Amino acid sequence: MHERIVGQSPWRVDGIAKVTGKAVFPQDIYLPGMVYGKTVRSKYPHAKITKLDTSKAEALPGVLKVFTARDVPGHNGHGVLHPDIPVFADGKVTSINDAICLVVAETQDIAEEAALLIDVEYEELPAVFDPREAMKETAPKLRENGNIAYHLKIRKGDVEKGFALADVIVEQSFKTSMVDQAFLQPEAGVATVDERGHIVIYVATQYPHWDRTEIARALGVSQNMVRVVTTAVGGAFGGREDMTVQIHACLAAMVLKRPVKIVYDRSESFKAHSKRHPMYMDYRVGATRDGKLVALEATIIGDAGAYLSWSPNILRKAAVHATGPYYIPNVKVDSYAVHTNNPFTGAMRGFGAAQPPMAYEAIMDMLAEKLNLHPFTIRWRNAFERGSETATGQILDMSVGLKETMLEAARRFGWNVEELK
Amino acid sequence: MEMKKLSLTVNGKLIEREVPTNIRLLDFLRDYLHLTGTKEGCGEGECGACTVLLDGKPVNSCLVMAHSAHGREVITIEGIGTPDKLHPIQEAFLEAGAVQCGYCTPGMVLAAYALLKENPNPTREEIKVAISGNLCRCTGYNKIVDAVELAARKEGK
Amino acid sequence: MKKRGIGMASIFYGTGYGNGFPDVSSAVVEIHDDGSATVLTGAADCGQGSNTVLAQIAAEELGIPIEKITLISADTDCTPDAGTTAATRQTYTSGNAVKLAAAKAKKILLDFAAGVLAVNTIDGLDIKDGYVYVKTFPQKRISVAELASHARFKGNRLIGEASFTTHSTMVDPETGQGAPYYPYAFATQIAEVEVDTETGKVEVIRIVAAHDVGRAINKIAVEGQIQGGVAQGVGWALTEEVELKNGQIQNPSFTEYLIPTALDVPEVTPVIVETYEETGPYGAKGVGEPAMLPTMPAILNAIYNAVGVRITELPATPEKILKALKEKEQKNA
Repeated sequence: MHERIVGQSPWRVDGIAKVTGKAVFPQDIYLPGMVYGKTVRSKYPHAKITKLDTSKAEALPGVLKVFTARDVPGHNGHGVLHPDIPVFADGKVTSINDAICLVVAETQDIAEEAALLIDVEYEELPAVFDPREAMKETAPKLRENGNIAYHLKIRKGDVEKGFALADVIVEQSFKTSMVDQAFLQPEAGVATVDERGHIVIYVATQYPHWDRTEIARALGVSQNMVRVVTTAVGGAFGGREDMTVQIHACLAAMVLKRPVKIVYDRSESFKAHSKRHPMYMDYRVGATRDGKLVALEATIIGDAGAYLSWSPNILRKAAVHATGPYYIPNVKVDSYAVHTNNPFTGAMRGFGAAQPPMAYEAIMDMLAEKLNLHPFTIRWRNAFERGSETATGQILDMSVGLKETMLEAARRFGWNVEELK
Repeated sequence: MEMKKLSLTVNGKLIEREVPTNIRLLDFLRDYLHLTGTKEGCGEGECGACTVLLDGKPVNSCLVMAHSAHGREVITIEGIGTPDKLHPIQEAFLEAGAVQCGYCTPGMVLAAYALLKENPNPTREEIKVAISGNLCRCTGYNKIVDAVELAARKEGK
Repeated sequence: MKKRGIGMASIFYGTGYGNGFPDVSSAVVEIHDDGSATVLTGAADCGQGSNTVLAQIAAEELGIPIEKITLISADTDCTPDAGTTAATRQTYTSGNAVKLAAAKAKKILLDFAAGVLAVNTIDGLDIKDGYVYVKTFPQKRISVAELASHARFKGNRLIGEASFTTHSTMVDPETGQGAPYYPYAFATQIAEVEVDTETGKVEVIRIVAAHDVGRAINKIAVEGQIQGGVAQGVGWALTEEVELKNGQIQNPSFTEYLIPTALDVPEVTPVIVETYEETGPYGAKGVGEPAMLPTMPAILNAIYNAVGVRITELPATPEKILKALKEKEQKNA
């Protein structure tokens, strides 16, 4: 290749700012007249709100206003696929971390003190915390059409015929954990109304343009009136796809005509953003004596938690990637996203394609052991190449460097790849 | 809110301010001096993003009350180098690719600075121990260790 | 007793939104009087380095140094929508958009240059090191700065705008058949671990991580993505779990939710495999998400290889490993 800059490693364009501490994250913004917001969240995973009294908090000197569901002028909800995450809970909570209200005060200390004075009473509702339980008819219904938010079937070939050809079959269940993106910079944003009367927010986000759409929809203003400026972003890994501080800060700034800053501490950060889906994965895979895969059957159940977020796309991605990078002629996969009263799950690095490797890569080793093959060998014999067909019937008419990655990694471990192929 | 006079040296400059008795050194640096290179990542001394040097030793400024730094010397990332005159450690971080999101970077640079003052030729293992109180979620630390090694070589010259 | 084991894992990863979703990125490039340029992109740099990679792509396409590029990103008042920074898509999708926009701006400049240099088509022209030159007669050349200022004085505007869409096809909801992602990235990692059979503690000794990224636009940045992804995989495999009790998070702090420290992440050897994806900018696909996918299964396979127990529920904590070892012992007895 004869490129001059592509393929090189120039210093990051934002590097000097970052090593000298000059890079501006939303936390680092201080505007004249700035006030501070503190979110009050639900104490119960599923409950009716029978009383919400903000008067004591609002009476505290230094408190400017407490914002609740009735202060949301537009749509009281947001979400990357479907706007079902309430800006503020309206009479009901579906998960423990639902925002009830936002206290805005002259200082962070006053906002936090006032937050303790918010008087909320709940009437608990039956809740469900295991997606397999939530699939049952008897489970508390979190949605009118039931708790199953998404189901994708993959049907290729005939798995029964495939298993009939198998010399060995491995059956195993797996479960992945709920994981946090744990980016180092907790959520923060500063919203203000500029000289044109436009609402501006400085925030660390993954997608400013979609944030604008959702902020405008919640505030009931046109999109050109909202400006989202992405500051330096302190890591994201999927956890900044669904919004957190954005609508709250913009609403408060719009109403109060003061710059409003919201900064989460680590604990609130854990509570406010999406998590990685824990998945239950039941697998059955068959192979012939020479290590060729002939059939795979899998059921994957992902806990979507209380809100939809990206769940359908994530469980779709899990299903599409359920076979691993291997050609299997007979495949049957059922993948489900199921609502529970757990904290909602959404995007995290790997996005549904991250969980199935736990299952399919364990099973490759289990089959290899039964067949007395090296782990490299069984993978090599089934590996995708350019032109291979996936479980969804897609022809991989693109660069497919899987076998090169296998060779390169194995050689660095000193494996005799020529013998192992 | 009880106020009290706080007098300390920050990046070589004597600072005197009347500030509340209950604030952390981190709050003083950020909210009062707007030295925002010092970051808050956890507020309980686990992540090291708020690392500063107190009398030359790295501390988590979220765990130090502002007034307990009275009469002492604080160095923040702003006191290490500037965009026009980077410290060799800062240069090494850029050269080695040790920076991604940058939120842990100021704390990492200060931890490295303190290490190299005490031990100009650390092993990789010693570097890992020295930065083990500073969390990074982006880089996997390998390139940060590379950067500190590179800085040691640069400073050794 | 400390026992060592080695585990391998391979993965594939469909990049982009997928499933026919509109996966579009737009960009604008303007060349100024002095030959420097501004790039506008909606892509948010979350730390992974898209601002740098996209500036590199613009600089390459325009034939000017990266220092002559100002890249403005992710401000909705002035940058066009580039989609979300997710799905391992910004290098590929926004990289393509920036490259196309730069090529359009460049074409306006080259069209003007053709007249100035008296060549009958721009096919014979290129830009390198800040000069427009005749490829087969390089001494015939003119600086980009001189040309740009001349072209602009004559009323030309050196602005290119482009959108790029990553193609994908919706899957059938009943059979799952379709072509939901494009392109796919591939990777293999091999991990070596040491398991202490008395404490159940696992130490990851080393990991080799080979990734088909199409083409590395920025080599060190790609290595950084791989090493960072591996670190997240180590955490997922061994320590990380949001513990819930009745829907309530029990460990919302770094004291109780343990992400890897510098002492927990092994030396990671990144191996960049370049396969030159024809549809990608300069052959690039992406690496962000694939970086972490093989790590967890490779570690679990290595644990099995070391001590013969298979952990099927994450994370592989010392308690789970000790319990599994005990069960294995009882079974063998």
